[in-house]
Amino acid sequence: MVSSNGNARAAIRGWLQENVTGGRDVPNDEPLIENGVMTSLQTVELVVFLEDTFGIVVEDEEFDEENFGSVEAIATLVESKAA
Amino acid sequence: MSARPEFTLHDLLYNSVARDPQRTAVVDGDAEYTYEGLERESSALGAALAEAGVARGDRVGVYMDKSWEAIVAMLAASRIGAAYVNVNPLFKAPQVEYLAGDCDIRVMIGDTPKLEELQPKTIQTAFYRGAKPEGHAARSYVDVADAMQGEGLKEDRKVSESDLGTILYTSGSTGMPKGVATSQRNVVVGAQIVSTYLENTPEDRILSALPLNFDAGMSQFTTSLRAGATLYLLRSRLPGDLLKALRHHEITGVTGVPPLWALLIRSGRSIRENPLAHLRYLANTGGRIPQANLDELRDLLEPAGTRIFLMYGLTEAFRSTYLAPEEIHRSSPEQGNCIGKAMPNTEIMVITKEGKEAAPGEPGELVHRGPTVAMGYWGNEEATQKAYRPNPLAPPELLGVERVVYSGDTVKRDEEGYLYFLGREDAMIKNQGYRLSPEEVENLLLGSGLVHEACAFGVENPAVGQDVIAVISLRNGGEEGAVDRIREHAIKNGPPYMVPKEILVRDELPKTGSGKIDRKGMSSAYANG
Repeated sequence: MVSSNGNARAAIRGWLQENVTGGRDVPNDEPLIENGVMTSLQTVELVVFLEDTFGIVVEDEEFDEENFGSVEAIATLVESKAA
Repeated sequence: MSARPEFTLHDLLYNSVARDPQRTAVVDGDAEYTYEGLERESSALGAALAEAGVARGDRVGVYMDKSWEAIVAMLAASRIGAAYVNVNPLFKAPQVEYLAGDCDIRVMIGDTPKLEELQPKTIQTAFYRGAKPEGHAARSYVDVADAMQGEGLKEDRKVSESDLGTILYTSGSTGMPKGVATSQRNVVVGAQIVSTYLENTPEDRILSALPLNFDAGMSQFTTSLRAGATLYLLRSRLPGDLLKALRHHEITGVTGVPPLWALLIRSGRSIRENPLAHLRYLANTGGRIPQANLDELRDLLEPAGTRIFLMYGLTEAFRSTYLAPEEIHRSSPEQGNCIGKAMPNTEIMVITKEGKEAAPGEPGELVHRGPTVAMGYWGNEEATQKAYRPNPLAPPELLGVERVVYSGDTVKRDEEGYLYFLGREDAMIKNQGYRLSPEEVENLLLGSGLVHEACAFGVENPAVGQDVIAVISLRNGGEEGAVDRIREHAIKNGPPYMVPKEILVRDELPKTGSGKIDRKGMSSAYANG
């Protein structure tokens, strides 16, 4: 478990590179849903990764487009929980 | 209250307006729209389309995210006797340009960012939603918001149930989508049949969770329109948004594809604490729900009174069978994947290779007969002849008069008349509820210019149906980073569900005796590790 949440952005971007974009780095503000970068099932996999890596729990109702719209939004959610 | 006879899509509208003009027809985000508003704005947009030169029988493209405007557009086209063509909003420019050419779309209603991606002169007139588009995808532009507030039609055009109502595009084996030409009658009867067995009423609050370009997704709109119910538009495919929509709007009916239920189950903890008491029914289509998920779904929802319908259908005939909630135990693999019985007003035949009706227990092809049998494939007589054939069981005096749909699915029927799914004849891949031809994936990869040969196939993955896997050989032996660039090309030029999960590189692809790429061989080699 990684406790330093300053790494949230880097960790999410690394995960996306490895599992979704085939090596392309995704800017923090790129719209992930609008641009169709991630499918919903990939988003589910990302949540599992975040929960394991940062020791957080994403509540059912938090798992929405507002919180998962960009790397920045996801990192903000993670930081609000890990703080 | 004397209802109009139901011949066209807009007849369904008039009946619901007459029943209760102030009832909410559509909820899109925070905005609510009444049936009266739907009548008024579809009349105004219809008049604007006619003004832009749309004639009876013309095709009008709708290329936008699911929205109030997209709903109004379908009715506007119908009222002037034009056919609407709902374009998958996930499509990228190459697929849309192909579609516009294939069915000669000259007028398109679309979201500005989507329209801006299209090649110059793809269409004549674009009705845009958003800021005025830059570039020259269309020769002239009209703001759809203005058009919907303009003066309405003096009267609707003369439209009959035999007119083309819509073209539903599905994945085609030529590497590009093919259009199923669907009449007004097909659309209306489909709504009658589905709203009959789901027992829809004006009190229903129906969730539209599927895309409108998908026959089963259009069905929530047409059934809601017919019942005079309220339709809630959901664009998000994330579980939190789904859960919030079901709760906050007290949804009474939801239809979806298996991956949607996997997302719903993810919210199981919250649903157990606070059950979805308003949810009257859940209907599944577009593939089998993995048994573990179905068991969990039943456990989550049935105690609160939700009834689960399992449906089977093909775009060529809209919907075919359903398994009633009381019989749901029959759907398990041990029982043999039961898909139920024919929907109302429909006959399902099981036909052997010899063209005879199969005996109970004997495998045969599922053949659909009834009023939802569509007109055929748009501009593709060869494919039409193959799928739409004379009724093999018609009396000799009527042979060749009526056409039925050969589904390509192998089934059997038991003594009680229940149908069981055994397999498919073609190589279609089922991914996230989409039916996808391998050729379309291969075409997308070849379009990168870096690929010499490509072969795509589906590999079973209960979470998504099938994963898309591609095996390729590279042009000129390949270069550094070629696979990454091919993947990027695919993401940029195709919808997400068409992008392979894995792209494997070989020096050369294995061939069959006749010199074709050996898809079956590679698929089973992959499955066996």
